Parts: sequence; C-alpha cells; structure tokens
Amino acid sequence: MMRKTFAAALGAVSLASMASAADLGAVDQPIKLAVNEWTGQHVTTHIAGEMLKAAGYEVEFVAAGMMNQFQAIADGDIHATLEIWSSNVSDEYAKKVEEGTVVELGDLKLNAKEGIAYPAHVAELCPGLPAWEALKACAPLFATAETLPAGRLVDYPADWGTPGADRMTGLELPFKAVPAGSEAALIVELKASAERKTPLLVTFWQPHWAMSAYDVQFVDLPAGEDACFTDPAWGPNPNAVNDCDFAASRIFKAGWSGLAETWPAAAEILTNYTLAVEDQQPMMGAVDVDGGKVEEVVAAWMADNEAKWRPVVDAATK
Amino acid sequence: MTGALTTGTKAAALAVIVGALCLLFEGLMPWIISFPAAWTLPLTNWVGTGAGEALALIKPTARGFSDLMSYPMDWAKLGLNAAPWPLILGVVLALGWRTGGVPMLVLAAVGMAFVLASGYWEQGMNTLALVAVSVPLALIMGAGIGILANEVPRVREPVQVVLDVMQTVPTFAYLTPLLVLFGFGPVVGLVASAIYAAPPMARNVLLGLQRIEPEIKEAAIMAGGTRRQQLFQIELPAAMTQIMVGVNQSLMAALSMVIIAAVIGGFNDIGWEVLLTMRKGWFGQSLMAGMVIVVFAILIDRMSGTLAQERKPQFDSRIGWGLVALGAIVAVVTYGQLGETSDYAMLGPVTKQVDAGLTAFTTANADWLNALKNNALFYVLLPIRIGLDQAVLPFTWGFMWTSQMSLWLFAGAGVVSAGLIVSGRVMGGLIVLIIAGILETGVSQLPWPFALVAAGGLAWSAGGRKLALLIVALLASILLAGLWERALLSFYLSGVSVFACAVIGGGIGLISAVSPMTWKVVRPVCDMLQTIPLFVFLIPILMVFQIGEFSAFLAIIAYAIVPMIRYTRQGLVETPEEMIEGAIASGATKWQMLFHVRAPYAAPTILLGLNQTILYAFAMLVIAALIGTTGLGQSIYLALNKADVGLGLSAGAAMAILAFGADRIVQGFAEDRRKALGL
Repeated sequence: MMRKTFAAALGAVSLASMASAADLGAVDQPIKLAVNEWTGQHVTTHIAGEMLKAAGYEVEFVAAGMMNQFQAIADGDIHATLEIWSSNVSDEYAKKVEEGTVVELGDLKLNAKEGIAYPAHVAELCPGLPAWEALKACAPLFATAETLPAGRLVDYPADWGTPGADRMTGLELPFKAVPAGSEAALIVELKASAERKTPLLVTFWQPHWAMSAYDVQFVDLPAGEDACFTDPAWGPNPNAVNDCDFAASRIFKAGWSGLAETWPAAAEILTNYTLAVEDQQPMMGAVDVDGGKVEEVVAAWMADNEAKWRPVVDAATK
Repeated sequence: MTGALTTGTKAAALAVIVGALCLLFEGLMPWIISFPAAWTLPLTNWVGTGAGEALALIKPTARGFSDLMSYPMDWAKLGLNAAPWPLILGVVLALGWRTGGVPMLVLAAVGMAFVLASGYWEQGMNTLALVAVSVPLALIMGAGIGILANEVPRVREPVQVVLDVMQTVPTFAYLTPLLVLFGFGPVVGLVASAIYAAPPMARNVLLGLQRIEPEIKEAAIMAGGTRRQQLFQIELPAAMTQIMVGVNQSLMAALSMVIIAAVIGGFNDIGWEVLLTMRKGWFGQSLMAGMVIVVFAILIDRMSGTLAQERKPQFDSRIGWGLVALGAIVAVVTYGQLGETSDYAMLGPVTKQVDAGLTAFTTANADWLNALKNNALFYVLLPIRIGLDQAVLPFTWGFMWTSQMSLWLFAGAGVVSAGLIVSGRVMGGLIVLIIAGILETGVSQLPWPFALVAAGGLAWSAGGRKLALLIVALLASILLAGLWERALLSFYLSGVSVFACAVIGGGIGLISAVSPMTWKVVRPVCDMLQTIPLFVFLIPILMVFQIGEFSAFLAIIAYAIVPMIRYTRQGLVETPEEMIEGAIASGATKWQMLFHVRAPYAAPTILLGLNQTILYAFAMLVIAALIGTTGLGQSIYLALNKADVGLGLSAGAAMAILAFGADRIVQGFAEDRRKALGL
C-alpha cells in the first residue's frame, strides 16, 4: 500500500528514452510479473524473469487473468505484463493508461499474424485452397445445422470482436460466422476436425502452439493494406471494405507506473526486451505438445541463445 | 372445472386475447415484437455510474479488509504447502477415523492417494487453503443473518429476498465490482465464495432456531437468563443438528464457487489448472484436475455430514491421535527426501488413455451423433426458438413454411381448443391456443405485451395479486433496460433445458425409486456431476457437437438434471407406510401404487426438485457462454472481460429476475399442492 503514494507522480516518465546504464533500485523488493492464461505468454514472461534475475533482481511470477490484470497493475500489486495483443485488449487498459497508473513498455516485436485458417487436411476436401476464391464453391462443405445453407466459419469469441465475420461480408463469401465463446472452444474445434478429418474454417492466429500441433494453414487473402479498411473501391469487392487480410496486430508490454522509479534498470530491460516468433513457437511446442516444464524449456533456450538476451541486460546494468 | 372461471382460466383467457391481438397487429406495429430502443432507459449506464461511485466510497474500507484477510490466506496457503504430505495425510486419515470409523478411513486414504497420484497436490492444498478461510467467513456471516432474522421477525421477509439474491445473481456478474473493491488477488475469490456459501448457513440457522420445542424455550425463560444467555446457552445448542446441516451445505457451496473465482487468477489453485488445461483442449488432464475437487467435495461432505447426525458414532480418539503422530513421524524421518509432490504424479498415462478413448468414440460414432444433433435442432430447438414460420425451410424440413400453413395451424388449434372448451375443459382449450401461438412465433420473438401478461397471469394463479404485480414490474425493468431480447434467449435456452431435465431426470428418478440397484449406479454419477467443475464437461460435448446452442443445451442438462433425479426419487421413496399399506390392502398393483399413491404424495417434493433444476440451469447459462451461446450469459461474460460494471450487474440482475420469477411461480404451485394434500 505504501508504494502507491509515490506512484502517482511518475505517470509521465518516458521509458523509451533511457538507453544508458541505470540504477538497479530496490533489489530487495521482488518484481512481480503477470502470468496469463496461454503458454506463449508463459514463455515470454519466464524469459523476461530470467533476464531480470541475471541482472540481480528478485522475481515473482503471479497468475493473473489477461483481462483482469490491469487493475492489479494500476495498484502496483503486479509490476509488469509482457505480452498484450492489440487485437485483444480490454477497454480497461486504455482507461488505466489515461489515468497514468499503467504505462506501456514498448513493442515485444513478436511478429504475429491473424487470419482465416484451416487444418491442412481440409485442402484435400476443398482442393483450391489456400486461394480464398476456392471458398466460394466449397462453402456447402462447411455447412452445419446452425448455418445452413451457408458454410460455417468459427470466429473469435464475441468479446474479441468479429474480424472473421467482417472478412466474409467484405469478400461476399457464403459463410456465416459463429462466435466461439472462448479460446478453449476454438482449440477443441480444431482438435475434433483434425482427428475426424472433417471440414473446418476458423479465425486463428500465430504464434500459437496449435498452429503446428494441428498443422493449421492460413487462407491467402488480398494483403491487408490501410486502404482496404477505408476505401470500398479497393480490393476484389468494389462495394465493400474489409475485402482483404487482417491488419497486422501489435504485441506490446505494459507495466506499473512506479516501475521505472523503483527499479530503473529493470524498467530499461523490460522496455528493450523483444522476442521473435521463431524463438517462441518451438518453446510453446516443447511445453504443450511434448509436455515439458516452462522453466526447463526456457532455461535450455537461455543457455543456448545467450547472444539474444545478454546484451539487453548488460546495456541496462553496465 | 365447469361453470365458474378460476383465476387461472381468467389469466389464460386474457393471455390468449392479448396474444391474438399481438399476432394481428404485428405487421402494422413492429414495436410489439421488438421493443424500440428509443423507449429504453440507459439503466445499464446508471447502474454503472451509481455502482462506480458507491464502490469508490467503500473502496478504502474494502481494501483494508482485503489486507487483513490476506494474512490468514497466506498463513493457510503457506501452512498447507509447507507441511510435508505424510503429515497432512495423517491428519486427514485421523479426521476420517474420528468421523466415520474404518469405512471413512478407507475413503479418505483412497481419496488422498488419488490427489497425490494426480500430481495436483500443491494446487489442491491451495484450493483447501481458500476454502479454509472462506468457509468460516461464510459461517459467521450466515449465522449472523440467521440469528438476526430469528430475533427480529420484521426483517425476516427482506432477509429471505437478500438470501435469494445472493444465490441467484451469477457470480461472474459481481466479480468485476469485487475486483475493484478488494483489489486483485485471491481475496476476491474468497469474498465471492463466502457470498455464495453464506445463505445455506443462514437458512439452516433460522430453521433450527424456529424448530426448537416451545418447552425448551419456556424452560430457558423460567431459568431467568438474559435473552443473550437463552440464545447462546440453550437455543443454539438445541438447534445444533440443523445448524450442522447448514455447515455441510456451506462447505459444499464454497467448494463449488472456488472454481468459478479462479477465473481471476492469483492463487495457483485447482480451478486455475482446470482453466489452463481446458484452454489447451486436454480433456483427460482437465478431468483429472476436476476429479481432485470431486474427491475433496466427497470427503468434506461425508465427514461434515456425520456432524449433522443426531447420534454421533463414537470412535476411539487415541487411534486418531496415533494416525496424526504416525504421519508426523514419517514426515520427520523422511524430511528432505520426499522431493516435490509433483514427482508422485503417476496418472499421466491414464489421462492419455481418456483422451484417446474420447477421440476413438467421437470418430466411431460421429454419424449418428451428428444426426441426433441435426434432428434435435431442426425439429425441436429451432422451431421453439424462432418459430415454425422461420425454422421450416427447404433444407431443414424439405419445404417452405407459408402464411397459409400458419392459418391452418391456428385453425387446427382452434378446433381442438373449441372441442375442449365445449366438453368443459376450458383451461386445456386455452392452453392449446397459447402453445400454438408460441410455436408459430418462437420464444425468442414473443411479443412483449403477451409475455408480460402471460407471466403476470401465471404468477397470479400461483401466488396471488402481489406476486403478479412484482413479477410484471421486474420484467418491465428488463424491458426498459434494453436487455429484453437477450433475456428471452436466456429464457428459451434454460426453458428447453429445464423441460428436458424434467422429462429425462424425472424418468431416471422414477426408475431409481423402483430399483435400488439403479440408484446405486446413479447416485455416484449425480455426486460427480454436482461437484466437478462445470468447465470440464464442455470439452467432450464440444468435441462431439461443436460450438453452438445444442452443446450449450447438453451442458446445461448435464448439470441441472441432478436435483430433478434426486428429488423425484426422494419424493417417491418416502411415501408414508400407512398410505402404502392402505393401497396394498385395497389390492393396488405396483404400478398403480406408483402413479395413484406415491406420485401425488411426492408432487410437492418433485416440484421442489424442479425449482432447484431451474436455479441450476440459470447458473449454468453463464458457463455455457464459453461455448458460444448468446443471451444474458454472454453479456455477463463479456462484461467481466471488459470490466464493465454496469452491464455485468444489470445482466446479472436480469438473470436473477428470471430465476426468481420462475422460482416463486413454481413454489406457489407447490404450496397449493401441499395444502391440497393437507401437509
């Protein structure tokens, strides 16, 4: 509770401008990092935690819901969360940033991709894939009782928005989008489809362990340029916007406003920390598919890839 | 039934007239079907703003409480985790011995061995820590409310309403405000489970105090103590057996809520583990984590259940202490050599087999399961939801529904109804008309004037004018808040599920009552369905039936059918001996006895079961939102994820209103039935 008193004064500190060696700050107080619900985030967070430990900090990992964590970060009960998807961030985040109690800590530079996807075996059922035009003729194949006569697209859960439905309307594809309700429901749909070799079209994203586990492929759509979302004339359908692929989503980090004051070097490390899909996705597979422990998988990666993270730690502490 | 019109017939006639008018004018006045947005009040926003200000006001106090509670939480968590597992095992076994002798000892040993072998010992201990702190909180709260209601008769009625609200508003709806109030972390889960677990304690304390023999009370007054002395030294001890039933119910409620509260995270408990594994679609693993809760629930239920028995069996306390000592000795001897509890996990292969089994089953049976789903959707669920006029299409029924068909349907219903009315069954005739109208229109598109009148009429005949007014006013508030369409969807989904539960559950209950062997199989299944985290069911149902309404329908049935089975059996089994003897003497066969003697006598109990089924079905609606249903459940879930206090509370209140209305109407009919039986 004491920490909050000086937290308010710090909202405006610009973290990105700090590049030189900084003070370690309160090394006797543990830095608490949020651990959300998905494995990729666990990998991201544990690597960051190990980097902070290498710099001489104490780190605690706290289980927290993605959507609910921002109140805790604003209160200084959690100090940073390291994998926020711009496509799936609660309104509360914007509120807290405006309040000045939560500050952004820059891009994670994880090269994410969202799109309309299908498990590889579906290409055998609908041979024109991955070209999106093939879906026009194949639609009846994907039809179910709820969507007849249109095909069924399993879209994101309702609270993540309806990007899949927007694509279907934009491209005039005869598909009805059904919101999934939860990520778990999406995964179970993929699993059932892969096991039973049934047709399935989903809105999905990478990095995600299921991409490799169920051999998920993206449908080729016209590139998602800015004009596509504002100018109906752009793209294959002259009468509608959204007739193209998804806009690139940004993945970034955020922390408690008192972070830079309490642990200046840690704030610098977390701000400069980045992670590539090529590094994260194999680790997710090692955990979710091969059943490894996050701590061990991350430790092995850190030992093999010191060149990728050590310079960030050194820049902040030496 | 001929001649004089009862309240019921009058209400039904009014509903028919209003319904017919709505059907006639729906083309001219579309506002009859969809309540115009311009007429709604921004109630949701008002609730949001109001709650926001109120929350800000009590936030400092709540945060203080939160800090205070975090100490016992941390101690319990630390204590249970730091204690070596042989010591905890020794204590649990000793408790088992003391409460139930050898059978309970064996049950405890098998259960705890399973927890250790599942690899979830640590998460299990964290869950127990949460229960260990939240239950005393709930017990104190509940006992306080119960004693208050007993001492001050004036507050009894409002207290009942408060208890109903505590039990019917879905927890998800108030998690967001709790989060704002108490800050992030396990204290929120603690408070949420205490809110949910307190009402059974309060009800049982009140019931226990009211049931004390007047002689005992008089004796206490004669002895000349103060009121407080009478209460604490005479009355509460006399009511102890009933109070212990409350303790048992509280424990179970807290255990089931601990899982829901895990959505917030922060405690690394079993609920969190279930969520994580479910997110990956690992059925075997999430079932395993869920079973740990089932084991705890069964052990806690059976052990605390003996506390509620009048004559407690006595078991040698020395053996109990011996078991604790043995656990302690083993813990000391093996100190430092036990390793992590997760090293004892050995059920991994089992979970893989469960997953493989599920896959094999869904692959082998895909065809008929799919046909089952399509038939249920085309011929039952869709017509009820959107009406025959929209559900009958060339690719579902093979032809197109026309307005002539609607006319034929109404004409047919009119003929049947006229026949019934002429032969004196006025009520039956009116009901046929109402059903035909609903089938043609669909529940989710019922004109709101008709819905209000029908609900009001139903309430009137069940509970009189006061109830009718209350229910119409509450429903109107949903209408004004702009939540009407979502409420109808929720009503439809829970309605069809409750109907299916009543038919199937009633049937299973009946068979269980006739054949004790069946009950031996059904009972543990009921126990499991009631205590396993609801999320776990969703995976296998989704694997087979995909995202959508049908899966939600099945998930709700899986959970809500249990009370229907239990109460039906209970009611049928406990018919008084003298009635049965009388029936046997007059030469009744087994089936005649069942339908003419046992069933009428059991009706109030079965209605109570139906009532519980309704409440359970509404509770499951929110969970069903996770597999893509629409309606109020989805709104509550959405509000939780977006931290929208106003929408969450309003949608939660709307859900509670529906549950409350259904509950009061069913209870009204049950009360009439009881009076008719002279009970």
